Amino acid sequence: MIIGSYEVLLEQRTDVRRASALVVPIASILGALVIAGVFLWLTGRPALSVYARLVRDGYGSWYSISDTLGQATPLILTGLAAAFAFRMNLYNIGGEGQLYAGAIGASWAGLAIAPHVSGPVAVLAVLLAGMVGGVLWILIPAIARAFLHTSEIVTTLLFNYVALFLMQYLIFGSSSFWRDPDSKNFPQGRPLPDVAHFPQLHFPRDVAGLDFPSGLTAIHLGLGVAVLAILAVWFLQQRTSFGFDMQVVGSSERAARYAGIPIKRTVIAVMLISGGLAGLAGAGEVGGRAYALDPNGLVLGLGYTGIVVAALSRYNPFAVGLVAVLLAGLRTGADALQGATGPLRVPVAIAFMLEGAILLAALGGEVFRRNRLVVRRIREAPA
Amino acid sequence: MTGSGLASGGINANVWVVALAGAISFGVPLVLAALGEILAERSGVLNLGVEGMMLVGAVSAFLVADATGSPWLALLAAVAAAAALAAVHAFLCVTLRANQIVSGLALVIFGGGVARFVGSSVEGQPRGAEIDPIRIPGLADLPVIGRVAFQQDVLVYATVVVTALVALYIVRTRPGLALRAVGESPATADAAGIAVARVRYVHVIVGGAFAGAGAAYTMLVVVPSWNGAATTDGIGWIALALVVFASWRPWRALAGAVIFGFALRANFTLQAAGITAVPAEILSMLPYLLTIVVLIALAPTAVRRRAGAPSALGQAYVRDER
Repeated sequence: MIIGSYEVLLEQRTDVRRASALVVPIASILGALVIAGVFLWLTGRPALSVYARLVRDGYGSWYSISDTLGQATPLILTGLAAAFAFRMNLYNIGGEGQLYAGAIGASWAGLAIAPHVSGPVAVLAVLLAGMVGGVLWILIPAIARAFLHTSEIVTTLLFNYVALFLMQYLIFGSSSFWRDPDSKNFPQGRPLPDVAHFPQLHFPRDVAGLDFPSGLTAIHLGLGVAVLAILAVWFLQQRTSFGFDMQVVGSSERAARYAGIPIKRTVIAVMLISGGLAGLAGAGEVGGRAYALDPNGLVLGLGYTGIVVAALSRYNPFAVGLVAVLLAGLRTGADALQGATGPLRVPVAIAFMLEGAILLAALGGEVFRRNRLVVRRIREAPA
Repeated sequence: MTGSGLASGGINANVWVVALAGAISFGVPLVLAALGEILAERSGVLNLGVEGMMLVGAVSAFLVADATGSPWLALLAAVAAAAALAAVHAFLCVTLRANQIVSGLALVIFGGGVARFVGSSVEGQPRGAEIDPIRIPGLADLPVIGRVAFQQDVLVYATVVVTALVALYIVRTRPGLALRAVGESPATADAAGIAVARVRYVHVIVGGAFAGAGAAYTMLVVVPSWNGAATTDGIGWIALALVVFASWRPWRALAGAVIFGFALRANFTLQAAGITAVPAEILSMLPYLLTIVVLIALAPTAVRRRAGAPSALGQAYVRDER
């Protein structure tokens, strides 16, 4: 780009400085706060107070932190699902639908299997069935991508809508196994038996300074599963030959072919694992929070936010954990803001707006991490 | 379908006439968004953010219609808002050379968030203005074809004209030639003196404007109220698939849009026909499933080689420095 007698260029850095790994995300978040601030200001809200309240309600007390960790649980899993596939340039953006399918599978296991087995087995069945649901939901896009090169981006996304309608059909449109037979006028999901409920973290009530009215927290077994998943993904990527195959196929299919790596099998495996991770998130939502298949009670957009988590963490599984907690705090804070009064009452969609803005800002920032901005005077070319 | 079919089939045939007329109307947002995406992709920039641009466009249309009562100002607002969001994508992908796929997804999430945020206070309220159908004198009263083709609103006709113009523009004009050159081989285009970045900016932004126009149509004709993300309900994504289906050609996009429009309306049609065997939720899956089947059936490996995607689609262009 030429401005006056100066030329402005982006020049690739030969060294990526470590400090920029921290500067860029912080600058991105600040940039996003400014962008969202414009919209807050336009709708007549005091942006700074809103942000202060958002932070306080999202991270400001033990109570809100435990809530945030509960919200982070599915985000870690959908974030891992996206990161695991995106790393290989397989853009599975169907985490949302795979989460629903996981919820359908998990609630089936909770209703059909759990009553006949002991506690740990019931919980394990719920988790497994959730994973299977997610895997099944990505099966067609995975096979089409591997054998026909059908873009997985659009197919995985379109299946999100199919999953949403399927869930609505099971609860609202039919007297399916998932529907509570006692709910005639206001259809609801059939409640899972207690044996299928994930164990929850209890805080002793008398601990000084902790304000837990019930002693119960939103933290459930799913968080442990999510942390294990982080370790498993890291191990798979860094310490196994499959992880090596993934890396090769992801960077160059031609190289992979010469190296004799089974490309189709690798592509399918990565996508199925990705779907399974998102399905696990659905199992956690059913077994650890909703205790039924409930289209109205399901937190929407967890799959889409997983994409933001993955992109911000630059597909690193440990970073996924951190970013998920950060964005979960936004959601906890936004939930609280929605219930506030006066000018601080802000629609919950502010969380999505902020997530999108952070991602946009980070995309811009990433460029400055890899490139430097060069401004130089243009010398007159000899005529 | 013929006039005699209408006479013998009675009411039932009427249902299908209405269904066809409705399919054309439901197809308008699809074809407009697809035309915009064709322009962007022909320049080599993939913009997955169609759904986000449409949501921003739809909420802008709703708010302006509410404030002014004018459907045309609403249309203008939708076009401007969606184009502005597209400009963000152009900046990120052309100037900053960011990953086009992730940038497009960011557009969907940000656009959806902004739309739901500014629209949350009016959610569920009826729209303040709409575009009414007109009757073409003399032709509107023809059997069947009159109802299907000559009792539509003015934007339906405009869409056909716009499709023709876009097709002509791409194939028959100098800027269209530059567009194709940039999309097929930016280095060659650059060497020939074409400003690659400018061509890409213009077509991504105009593409966004098209998506905005489609969203305005959705808001002013198809959907009676602002319903958050459910207002567009994924038609931006279907439009993306439509581009592949149409092999990046405008007229094919128009034809495809009517087929997809038919599927989108299947719920109403079967209800009107008194067919209730298939539950509503299952029918609602139809357009999405149809799109998936079409995408898979097209098996892009074969299509891509013959009449497929622009060669430089999805790739940032960096001029080699010395």
